[in-house]
Amino acid sequence: MKHGSGRRWIGVAVVAVVLAVGAVAWAATDTIVLGSAISKTGKYAREGKFYVDAYTMTVDAINKTGGVKVGGKSYKLELKMYDDQSDPNLCVRLFTQLVTSDKVNFLLGPYSSGITIPASSVAEKYQIPMVQGGGASEKIFDRGYKYIFGTLPRAEFYFLSATQAAVNLNPPVKTAALAYSNEAFDRSVAEGSRQLLKEYRIEKVYDEQYPPGTQDFTSILAVIKSKNPDLILVAGHAENSLNFIRQAQAADVNPKMYVFTVGPPTADFRQALGKVAEHAYGVTPWLPDMDIGGEVFASAREFSKQFKARFGYEADYHVASGAADVLVYKFAIEKANSLDPQKVRDAIASLDVETLYGRVKFEPNGQIALGQVLIQIQQGKLVPVYVAGKFVAKPIYPMPKWSQRK
Amino acid sequence: MLILQVLINGILLGGLYGIMALGMSLIWGVMNIVNIAHGALIMLGAYITFWAFTLLGWDPFLSLPVTVLLLFLYGYLLQRVVLNLIVRAQLFITLLITFGIEVVMVNLARIFWTSDLRQVTPAYAGTNFSVGGLTIPYVRFWVFLTTVILSVLFLLLLERTRLGRAIRATTQELRAARLTGIPVAQIYAVTFGLGAALAGAAGALWGMLFPITPTMGGALTLKSFVVAVLGGLGTMMGAIVGGLVLGLAESFSSTYLGPTYPNAISFGLLVLLLIFRPTGVLGRREQG
Repeated sequence: MKHGSGRRWIGVAVVAVVLAVGAVAWAATDTIVLGSAISKTGKYAREGKFYVDAYTMTVDAINKTGGVKVGGKSYKLELKMYDDQSDPNLCVRLFTQLVTSDKVNFLLGPYSSGITIPASSVAEKYQIPMVQGGGASEKIFDRGYKYIFGTLPRAEFYFLSATQAAVNLNPPVKTAALAYSNEAFDRSVAEGSRQLLKEYRIEKVYDEQYPPGTQDFTSILAVIKSKNPDLILVAGHAENSLNFIRQAQAADVNPKMYVFTVGPPTADFRQALGKVAEHAYGVTPWLPDMDIGGEVFASAREFSKQFKARFGYEADYHVASGAADVLVYKFAIEKANSLDPQKVRDAIASLDVETLYGRVKFEPNGQIALGQVLIQIQQGKLVPVYVAGKFVAKPIYPMPKWSQRK
Repeated sequence: MLILQVLINGILLGGLYGIMALGMSLIWGVMNIVNIAHGALIMLGAYITFWAFTLLGWDPFLSLPVTVLLLFLYGYLLQRVVLNLIVRAQLFITLLITFGIEVVMVNLARIFWTSDLRQVTPAYAGTNFSVGGLTIPYVRFWVFLTTVILSVLFLLLLERTRLGRAIRATTQELRAARLTGIPVAQIYAVTFGLGAALAGAAGALWGMLFPITPTMGGALTLKSFVVAVLGGLGTMMGAIVGGLVLGLAESFSSTYLGPTYPNAISFGLLVLLLIFRPTGVLGRREQG
């Protein structure tokens, strides 16, 4: 009996200590948790890493410069990131868990339109803002949702600057081939490109969809070669672009110009192809040496330097977009001066701020209003060629034939 | 001339599919193991070729024998140490263990070598020659020749050598093979080693044409599976024939129906074949 009552007192003491420690810890926590399920593994692992690193570096930078100020108090930002394994179903489950059981404050987006479309429904259902930088398809934003915001420009207009440039070149582009992957983002790009080609009176001689996992483009290239277009537009992810270019060389396909939605702006793409990447065009809303900047990161150049020093690879627009997503929360929370999801959501919707990524201002449907720069790979470097309706550098046009290149 | 170009493309690719399937068909036919890790072995072969090229400057065709040898040793050890435990177990168990091996290999590759796209780009990559209006890429052509040579060598090994006879005997009648003194456990290990070596060779060749990533193997396991069944399980010639059939089917359907059709066509072919000729194009009735 003596033992029994002793044990009972020990039990009470333990509970009391735990409660006390818990209370102290809870009171001492002034953190804002940003939750995300992002592709750390799976087919999007490469791009997912860009966002993981971007989110991490931006959160650390914000915390170093005083954190986020709400109601006179300074809050630290914290990240809670799960791996969605590039699987949309898992992503939805993870976001639901972040909201309902981890009870994070706000959400950062996953990568790829295909995954963001279902994931954003979680944000909408629980009325917690999600800011994402990895999905550009209009299908994300055209559902009348109020809680999803995106920092990638509209997919349909990805090839706008390319098309505008094409008709203003000498000799102007008259015919075009369009090849696109069967994924949400690329279908959106294709939809938009069809309208653009019609609007700019370029004759479309080839328009085909290919399965996302396609590695062998020889048949597609054989048909395109037989139609001999001036311009080839390819909408796909980095691996598609890489394979396409390599096999275009092997099959001796010589358009005057070819443009890719993903690939050319990213360093490892150019490294993998080496000289073969020469003269390819790409589109990007951001370049590392732009003279833009804002709070936390004074300039794009400064951001790129810090990023390269910490993670060992060059930042591209995916990274800058991810960084902008975290910055959006800092500015919006401080503007709203509140952690209430509804108030922060309204602050994000009315935000208009200059950052290292450019001017962050969202359209009523939640998508950023940012243009794409047409870039060309010239001697291994990214050269902005056409931006905001005019040429800013001379493109190498038409592209030299493969047999004439060294 | 488009149709001839499509034909050539189909044959060149078909040869590669054939050698990919050869390894899987061998292991399946002899040991009744459906090797889900087949794609991972291909991936390993591709990476060895890549690292030999990048770090040592070895031409991918010249490093091929080294890749083949390394994969053979790897496969042999894998069988002796791990798979030996489950030979002749239920099919489900073999699927499970080879699946586990695949997961481990792919994720180790991702941890050590990252998901960055890798390419093997020797100086002659992308060059081509013209024959009567047709453009034939050099690398694809040499890859095709290599697959022909490797296939012939392998078939000779199976038909003409003592080892080959022992392997075929073990496949046909296990008890009799044991009675004649064939060391069955050893044969199984050598067979798996050979299957892995073929997968490694396929990986080395594949890596010369397409980018290399840790997850490249998954789709290739599936393709090998289709080719192996198309051609007839357990018959080596069948894998080659199946590969050519698939390569041609994909090439023609992609060009004349559209790029989204090849998968539908290949699996449609598989279904039709399973209905009307389940043993495959070259399969024999008595193979179980």
